[in-house]
Amino acid sequence: MGEKKQLKIFLSLPSTMQLIYLLDTVISDILKEMKFDEEVQEHVNLAVIEAGTNAIKHGNKEDTDKNATFEFLIDDEKLTIVITDEGPGFERQEVANPLDPENLLKSSGRGLFLMEACMDEVEYEAKGTIIKMVKYR
Amino acid sequence: MQVNLRHNDNIIILDIEGNLVGPNTIGLKNIIDNLIREADGEQVFLILNLERVQMMDSSGLGVIVAAYASIRRNMGRIVLLNIGGNIRSLIIMAKLVTIFDRYDTEAEALASFQTT
Repeated sequence: MGEKKQLKIFLSLPSTMQLIYLLDTVISDILKEMKFDEEVQEHVNLAVIEAGTNAIKHGNKEDTDKNATFEFLIDDEKLTIVITDEGPGFERQEVANPLDPENLLKSSGRGLFLMEACMDEVEYEAKGTIIKMVKYR
Repeated sequence: MQVNLRHNDNIIILDIEGNLVGPNTIGLKNIIDNLIREADGEQVFLILNLERVQMMDSSGLGVIVAAYASIRRNMGRIVLLNIGGNIRSLIIMAKLVTIFDRYDTEAEALASFQTT
């Protein structure tokens, strides 16, 4: 059996939301290259933007001395994205469900939910400072 | 992101162009906040034309949800015009599909204010 080919792309961003467009550019090109359906591309793009916002804004508190890193692992079966921040972390189960009626009209709190809705797998490691997301081809 | 403001009688139409993502959403938030402030407690009738918005994230959705809540508080109304598939999908995922009235043409959106 041949060895499974994997392409790895690494991006490290200082924690300012002004750079989120770079993340958008990189993931958009990867998704086009992987030839995902247009709707899937939109979903994965959204999930990555949400994860980037989470890492830069909520994790690193937009401290430009801290970096958010994004690792894109591409193989024949799937796209894996690993997002890391330098923040204190959080407990996923303590984040309110934005679909609960009392939260529906809140202006924030949908990021993690959208990541999970748009990807096939989302795992939180190291108190949520490392998030691993997978989308299968 | 660019926003063009128009009036049709007492209805305000915001034509939005660009992605409603992250820091790009602040401009729209400020414009809507100003409209509500200037109304000084009176009803605001608002159409958000999203025809030229390709992408929206939770920040963009948050601005629209906050606008909905503020405008409804004073018995005003906000409707969405020309939303594309990705924004429609976002609204469905967030279970906001029954909250927002959506129209495909400006004429329909304007007419909807006559019946409410």
